[in-house]
Amino acid sequence: MDFLPIFLDVTSYILVLVLVALGLMIVFGMMGVINMAHGELFMIGAYVMLASQSLGLPFIAGLLLAPLIVGLLGLLIETLLIRHIYLRPLDTILATWGLSIALKQIIVLTFGPESHSVAAPIDGAFTLGSVSYPLYRLLLMAMSILLIAGTFWLFLKTSFGLMARAVIARPTTAAALGIDTRRMYRLSFVIGTALAGLAGALVAPIISVDPQMGLGYLVPGFLSILVGGAGPLAGVLVGGAVVGGTSNLLTVWISPVAAMITVYILAILVIRLKPEGLMGGRRAK
Amino acid sequence: MRNSLIALLVFAGLAIAPVFVGNYWTGQLTAYLVYGLLAISLSLVWGYGGILCFGQAMFFGIGGYLMATITKGMILPGITSSYIGLIVAIAGAALFALALGYFLFAGRGVSGAYLAIITLAIALVLERLMNNWYALGGYNGLLNVPPITLSFFGVSYELYDRLPTFYVILVIVAAVYGLVVLLMNSRYGLLMTAVRSHPDRLSFLGYNVLTLRLSIFTLGAAIAGLAGALFVTLDGFASPTLIGFTLSTEALIWVALGGKEMMLAALMGAILTRWAESWLVEIFGDYWILILGIAFMISVVLLPKGLLATPLQKFAGRKRL
Repeated sequence: MDFLPIFLDVTSYILVLVLVALGLMIVFGMMGVINMAHGELFMIGAYVMLASQSLGLPFIAGLLLAPLIVGLLGLLIETLLIRHIYLRPLDTILATWGLSIALKQIIVLTFGPESHSVAAPIDGAFTLGSVSYPLYRLLLMAMSILLIAGTFWLFLKTSFGLMARAVIARPTTAAALGIDTRRMYRLSFVIGTALAGLAGALVAPIISVDPQMGLGYLVPGFLSILVGGAGPLAGVLVGGAVVGGTSNLLTVWISPVAAMITVYILAILVIRLKPEGLMGGRRAK
Repeated sequence: MRNSLIALLVFAGLAIAPVFVGNYWTGQLTAYLVYGLLAISLSLVWGYGGILCFGQAMFFGIGGYLMATITKGMILPGITSSYIGLIVAIAGAALFALALGYFLFAGRGVSGAYLAIITLAIALVLERLMNNWYALGGYNGLLNVPPITLSFFGVSYELYDRLPTFYVILVIVAAVYGLVVLLMNSRYGLLMTAVRSHPDRLSFLGYNVLTLRLSIFTLGAAIAGLAGALFVTLDGFASPTLIGFTLSTEALIWVALGGKEMMLAALMGAILTRWAESWLVEIFGDYWILILGIAFMISVVLLPKGLLATPLQKFAGRKRL
């Protein structure tokens, strides 16, 4: 048994999960909005990649178009839907759930219910001794790390990030200090959705693209956030590593079913017994 | 007493419906009534108890599987009575809810969004489990579940024909509805309003909020378990879809569309959505789900009290039925 490929598989899954969870977390942490349609936005990112590939556009065009289109969709969703209900956090769960049903069905109507595959831009494999590993997966990991680091940089080192964290910590004080909280909400929602779209486009070549793929990332994404803690951004790294790592290793060692059941139950136990998450932070509304 | 009048009219309308709709639709309507029972249970837990449960179908499924295994003689070959099946189904679902509720609500407890995510995850786990539990049929489910056999003083009657089945189910649904409405109009209902809106003040006044939450969660689960048990006898079929995530969220949509804080609206929400679905699917085809999703969104944003409950409450002139 070669540990290196398993280790790389697990790591790439964790990185993608963290990307999805980061978008969710920005929206949840800042607005207290649970976006149940986040998985569908991730899926649409993958479909944008699929469509751009079938139009003969290069891979990089898909990578640019996906966050752009999904981000615009996010802007639309924020304006038409979230804006009106973000003071009713439980209703956002329901409304975005309705949205996820609608988005899924739009994709079924446009692309059909069957699954598609997307070609990777590079085919080769990286060989080290007896171990060989697909190059695209390595590229995916590198890009994910860059994106995660970029998001952290945006929220921890820029003045936008400072304002965003102010709005997260003390919305009313931030507003009194002249920060346009509505604008911050809108921006973070768009950033969160664009991240989901980009994540979808990046993963498209290594998974099968179908209308049901969103839920498979949404629930582990939420569990990662809640396990890690919804306070500090680093919580999502820990949560993603715990949830993604355990589920992937158990899939290899036992079976996908046992892995899913064990991970979900473990995650529920952690959330119940340590509601502030492994990394601490505030408890959500 | 205008509100009881509306309920009476609705049940009277349902009672004479078989005369107009024919045999096939009577069968469908029976199933919708059972879904309506699930909607009542969710409305109780969510609208009255303030517990947003994203996995109410798990109790429905537990009831269904318990009923199926008992009446098929899979647990005790000698005991296949429908009555025992129903009792075990109700008790099993209630006990599971009691344990789960204690785990979720005791101490610091989880609520709101966390609760929604956790119940969603549990429903997914149970669905996956039943899909792979081969002794209970796995993915294919359990076939040939016998219909309910009613026996009084040595005379037994098998509920196989559509019309008698419809009326028995209608009586059960009406009875459950009546009892639940009575309960909610009593002091217990008032306490529930307090649990929902100001749990901290209530515990300050010396009430045990945990017990109250557990009681309504368990009661809701018992009703859902009853609904599941009735459901498997209709088609003679118990499958993992009964327990899972899809039915849970569908129930959530019916109840939200109807009106979660009004039992009658939740019941009608389930019946009307299912009924509308059966003929709108023929007109709109795959667009129906899109329409349903959009309608759900609009109703949550613009009419958070529900599409049916808003006009019904205007008419009844009182806050709740």
